Amino acid sequence: MVEIIIDEDACVGCASCVEDCPNDVYEMDEANNKTKVVNEVDCMACLSCHEICPAQAMEHRDIHVAKRLYIDRKVNYALKRII
Amino acid sequence: MDMSEITDTLGTFKPELIPKETGGNLDDYEDALHVLMKFMGSMSSALEQVSGRGANAIVYQAGKRMGHESAKMMDKTEDLEKALYELSEVLGEEFYFIKWKPDAQDSYVLQKDNEVTVKLLFMDCVVRQTLRRTGLPQKGPLCYLLYGYMVGAVEEVMDLKAKVDIDHVGPNACLKTLTIKWSAK
Ligand code: SF4
Ligand code: SF4
Repeated sequence: MVEIIIDEDACVGCASCVEDCPNDVYEMDEANNKTKVVNEVDCMACLSCHEICPAQAMEHRDIHVAKRLYIDRKVNYALKRII
Repeated sequence: MDMSEITDTLGTFKPELIPKETGGNLDDYEDALHVLMKFMGSMSSALEQVSGRGANAIVYQAGKRMGHESAKMMDKTEDLEKALYELSEVLGEEFYFIKWKPDAQDSYVLQKDNEVTVKLLFMDCVVRQTLRRTGLPQKGPLCYLLYGYMVGAVEEVMDLKAKVDIDHVGPNACLKTLTIKWSAK
């Protein structure tokens, strides 16, 4: 099953992920103004929340990874040599 | 002209000959794919600039025609499960999808009046990759190519009217709803 980890130090409490997720996976924790994961089971790993989060505060584990043929293999190769 | 001065790859051709080799290696295929992605992206945004929302309709029709053509050889069925299997055969690995439902919902397929709906989660999609390659947003005209393709293929296989709606898009998966109208042919 998908596991979602929120980096509470990074989260700025903007609630963008709550609004963006179509499956109500997140909810705002009003007490400490951070997002919290409440419905992990309905996460379909679309990762639109990753695109919208200004703090890159979430991590999805054990998800499928879509093919990314748009990335140039030569660029990938060069990056791998540097990193 | 002495071709050996220009290239190392020399061959003999007759008009009716089907070449045994495609020529090129994986890098050439990759380069060709990226050029096509850029062309497609550029065409799509130009179409949108010229025809506004009309671009969606044009691309949808092109996709629908492709869908009908591709599914012509498939077995005809009124069974939705079988039709989805046929659809996955038509779309292939590059548009890999699964059925999806919220955990609390019992069945993948919902029946209402004369309509039946099923949610499909597209994990892989060449259109999505093309959009990312060219920096274009999802849900634009190019996405209508896949809607049309799906509708055309389903209509061909089931001989019923179909409709596709987009529920949500993301960089790693997109959720769509396929609706079949039983009464409309
Ligand atoms: S990946 Fe998609 S479904 Fe999962 S939490 Fe993010 S927005 Fe919601
Ligand atoms: S979008 Fe990011 S920063 Fe905003 S509430 Fe969600 S996790 Fe926190």
